Amino acid sequence: MDNREAKFVLNAYRPGGQDANDPRFAEALEQVRRDPIFQQWFDNSVAFDTAMTEKLCATPVPSDLRESILTGVKVARPPKWKNRWRKMTIAAAAVLGATLGVLIWHNTRPTPVAGWQLQALDAILSSIARNESHFDAISSNPVDLVKWLRANHAPVEEKLPNGLDKLPTIGCKTFFWRGKPVSLICFTLPEGRAIHLVMTNVSTESDRAIKHDAKVIQQGQWATATWREGNMIYMLALEGSRDELQHYVL
Amino acid sequence: MSESDFEQLVDRYYVALYRFALTLAKLEADAADLTQQTFFLWASKGEQLRDSSKAKSWLFTTLYREFLNRRRHEVRFPKVELDDAPEDDMAIAPNMNALDGASIMKALREVEEPFRATLTLFYLDQFSYQEIAAVLEVPIGTVMSRLSRGKAQLRQRLLLSEEAPGNKVVSFGSKISGGSLG
Repeated sequence: MDNREAKFVLNAYRPGGQDANDPRFAEALEQVRRDPIFQQWFDNSVAFDTAMTEKLCATPVPSDLRESILTGVKVARPPKWKNRWRKMTIAAAAVLGATLGVLIWHNTRPTPVAGWQLQALDAILSSIARNESHFDAISSNPVDLVKWLRANHAPVEEKLPNGLDKLPTIGCKTFFWRGKPVSLICFTLPEGRAIHLVMTNVSTESDRAIKHDAKVIQQGQWATATWREGNMIYMLALEGSRDELQHYVL
Repeated sequence: MSESDFEQLVDRYYVALYRFALTLAKLEADAADLTQQTFFLWASKGEQLRDSSKAKSWLFTTLYREFLNRRRHEVRFPKVELDDAPEDDMAIAPNMNALDGASIMKALREVEEPFRATLTLFYLDQFSYQEIAAVLEVPIGTVMSRLSRGKAQLRQRLLLSEEAPGNKVVSFGSKISGGSLG
């Protein structure tokens, strides 16, 4: 082993000395001891590596990163309760997706709600219905889901509208529709049915035209309500009648 | 794995994972997202690992793969020919005392991949060259080559970043001539 080869090997020698007993370095270190000039190179190399390690290990870490990791994984864990509510929610989502899908793809009649609402629900609820793991986060606690959405910069206000935060949740999903971020939270109603809240930020003139008072319409077996609060647009969807949905629309 | 075990795992590795991600992804938000995604993948897949001693290697490998996957969607990954990388030279070295953490991080981020990932794992002082080889899934010789050439690139970047009046270039010692080191 000549000095060039030894130098090549010693570039992998950790400055903390953890590798002192590694036989791969033995010959190179012996070479260092025999050659004072090479020893100086090695000392300088170790000093440089030590300084780099110290500087790199002093790089600050975001103060909320730990909590964000723990909360994110906590809400993503499937809850232990797997009861009929979940199954009914998945089934309901499938029906909603199919219903809205028909309206979108076949255009059988004019739809009184915006395309993003229909396409978003069709795409997302259908995919969730096919496989429940498509939720980005799963929790029965709406606070956890809101926290998760906020941590991931998805559209959501800290307080959910219309007292929905009192309902247990199934999960949430984030996605983009034409470059526009959209959030979805699925809740379970006391009798086991599902109700879905879709949220997105105001970004276009047509968004701004949406009124504060909810517009409740019937879409086949489904009722939807759409309204705007400040910079947030909400859509609530329920398999049932307008009257039933009206109960959750203030 | 219980919640408390998972919390211990996070406490043990999230800082080093974040710093590794920060040199790869460059933006703090992306680094935090990569770190979070790594633990999310652990929670959904990694827990199936029977050998808990491999958790560290699994986490770093997963983060690196995740970075490469995202990168492939953004730009074509630039191929770096190892033979074209500059020769190592300790004769002229940056004055490390005069450089702050931000300058160090900036210089490290400017080192080309795949040297950057190798250097970061080395300097995080967590990994031996064998472990780096396992994390990056490359031969040991490749790790040594990347460290040698990566350090040379890093020193060049650091020298360029020495712009403050007091930051004059200092020598780590006598220039090692070709006669001595071949």
